[in-house]
Amino acid sequence: MQGSLIDTLARQGVTRRAFLKYCATLASMMALPPAAGRAMAEAMAAAKRPSVIWLPFQECTGCTESITRSHSPTLEGMIFDMISLDYQETLMAAAGHQAEEALRHAMKENAGKYLLIVDGSIPLGQDGAYSCIGGRSNVDLLKEAAQGAAAVIAVGTCASFGGIPKANPNPTGAVSVSDLVQDKPVVNIPGCPPIPVVMTGVLAHYLTFGSLPELDDKKRPKSFFGETIHDRCYRRPFYDQGKFARTFDDEGARQGWCLFELGCKGPVTHNACATVKWNGGTSWPVESGHGCLGCSEPDFWDGGGFYKALSVPADPLKFVAASSVVGAGVGAAVGFANRASKNAARSAHETTTLADLEK
Amino acid sequence: MARDSIPLHVVPPGEPGLSGNAPPLLRELLERVRRLLDDGESSAIDLSALPLTPADLAWLRDKLGTGEIAVTLHAHGESTLNETGCPGIWWVTHRNEQGAVMSQFIEAAFVPELVKAHPRDVLTGQEYLESMISGC
Amino acid sequence: MNALQFLTWVRGPGLNIAIGIFMLGVLWRLLEIYSLGRRKDLSAPRRTAGASGLHTVFRRSLPAPGMLKYSPVSYTAGYLFHIGLVLIVFLFAPHILLIQNAIGLSWPGLPSRFVDMITVVTMAAMVAVLVDRINKAPKRFLSTFEDWFAWTVTFLPVLTGWLAVQHLLLPYPTMLALHILSVEILLIVLPFTKLFHAFTLFGSRWYNGQVNGHKGVPV
Repeated sequence: MQGSLIDTLARQGVTRRAFLKYCATLASMMALPPAAGRAMAEAMAAAKRPSVIWLPFQECTGCTESITRSHSPTLEGMIFDMISLDYQETLMAAAGHQAEEALRHAMKENAGKYLLIVDGSIPLGQDGAYSCIGGRSNVDLLKEAAQGAAAVIAVGTCASFGGIPKANPNPTGAVSVSDLVQDKPVVNIPGCPPIPVVMTGVLAHYLTFGSLPELDDKKRPKSFFGETIHDRCYRRPFYDQGKFARTFDDEGARQGWCLFELGCKGPVTHNACATVKWNGGTSWPVESGHGCLGCSEPDFWDGGGFYKALSVPADPLKFVAASSVVGAGVGAAVGFANRASKNAARSAHETTTLADLEK
Repeated sequence: MARDSIPLHVVPPGEPGLSGNAPPLLRELLERVRRLLDDGESSAIDLSALPLTPADLAWLRDKLGTGEIAVTLHAHGESTLNETGCPGIWWVTHRNEQGAVMSQFIEAAFVPELVKAHPRDVLTGQEYLESMISGC
Repeated sequence: MNALQFLTWVRGPGLNIAIGIFMLGVLWRLLEIYSLGRRKDLSAPRRTAGASGLHTVFRRSLPAPGMLKYSPVSYTAGYLFHIGLVLIVFLFAPHILLIQNAIGLSWPGLPSRFVDMITVVTMAAMVAVLVDRINKAPKRFLSTFEDWFAWTVTFLPVLTGWLAVQHLLLPYPTMLALHILSVEILLIVLPFTKLFHAFTLFGSRWYNGQVNGHKGVPV
């Protein structure tokens, strides 16, 4: 199936106009000027399929599910098919030694040119023994594969920031891709799972311009992670009016009021859910009546509880009782000491001086 | 269970009114039409990239009016490319299979690029015609 | 440490420590002050109209004759920012939620736009009292480090809270964390500085009114 993308698409029944339409929309979502949509279409139509190696580490396959089952048949899915996916354990037909052979082959053939997609975090505890493929630890595999990669795309929160495996107490010593790969360009596409179009958007950008899109300080594509959920939320006016749902079945919840008090992490979460939505634009968590979990932010799992509002204590205030007792004790002790010194002063007939008053 | 059977109704928090961002777009369009006439350069404005409220969009649609031509494209969801009351200005809406608007543009062009058939596709059509003739 | 970890720390261990020290300090100081006691005044009380602890509590809330004209900024701006602080702290929805979470009491809040307006007025009033303190020679002369410090730790929570809500200067999570941190600093220093007047204000007025009332002097 070598050849240009548009020919491959045509064989799958995707017309040129459908492709142009998709590129126009993709460019719009990536905040590129409209002219870029056409440039993208032209470049992608002629592009050769880049080799992509997808390494799964400590993960749940949810990221793969998100992109392959987004909704069918999608152009997103087809763009994904258009890359030469040389290694993907879940999707590939080969298994065992055959699969490992395919990986070695792809890495040798396309050295320096392939894109490396990683999902899942990498355990460092016990010399990486917590997660191995074909007898080799994840950290070993990642270091070897990253060496020959043109760029590394960390898909999902686990690969981007450590995710659930890294959650307190992090039993496996899990770290993110960018903790280990420092000498190659790394793009983080966090989310649990990430939005499919964000993944294909980055791939399309690479196919078109041969480079990675502009990134923020957490290495996320700015066009998708530039604004918070709260900024673009359709329930934002309720927040501004002070109208909040207080339980999941009260009048406020029925009226679709703001979910801040129910623990929505929208104000501190950067992602495109509010604009791109999920399942082909059907809905997204807040529209379905549940607050944002903040899944595209580092350490969202340890953010103090999904159902606790951002303004309330993350932990129970456990020092209050003890410190109150200590405070009362100190106060009483100082009180007794004061009385004692007062009585002593009185019995000694001490006089009050100016210095005493200055105290 | 259908979503309608869940007793959850979202009340829009009062229609956000005109933001004042729509009228300057008319000037922008004038400039683009001028460029189309002088240099034959077509261009487009991405409406989802601008801070426009639904009321702004309705105002724009109303101002630009409806022209003589309405094109419907059936390709992975319906797209409409409609000429406005100002010839040379087209209102382009792309929808997905579920009917949700994916992107919206205003194009300044004699004919939107998407409407024209690509030579490669015409070639395919030619081959198809030839095969039909030889098949008779 | 990234912004969210910072935020989680100030919401968790940070808040824990701050409220712990706050409670310790408040109980300590209150017990210490009220256990000081006073020798019983055996003289016969002189009764004069308007001379009692309760009278003084209210009387001192109003400017003394002529003072409003002499120091208008202290009174108007002073009143404005104190009322503003009370409204912001107790009637902003996220704050009510915090109180509800801590002690279980809840009440309706004000719309956030209104609180926003109050915040701007409060900050303006606080800046006005600061400028007044700098401009007026006697005030400047009487000011010690503690006065400037108390002003700063009171102003910072208001400023950072407002910046966070307005999405100015820094990303919201960072600003929110800074806001909570500044409140924690305020909580920690409150029992040990002149800011403790939040607790002792009415007690000391009552004391002065009572002592002088016994002598028949309305103060």
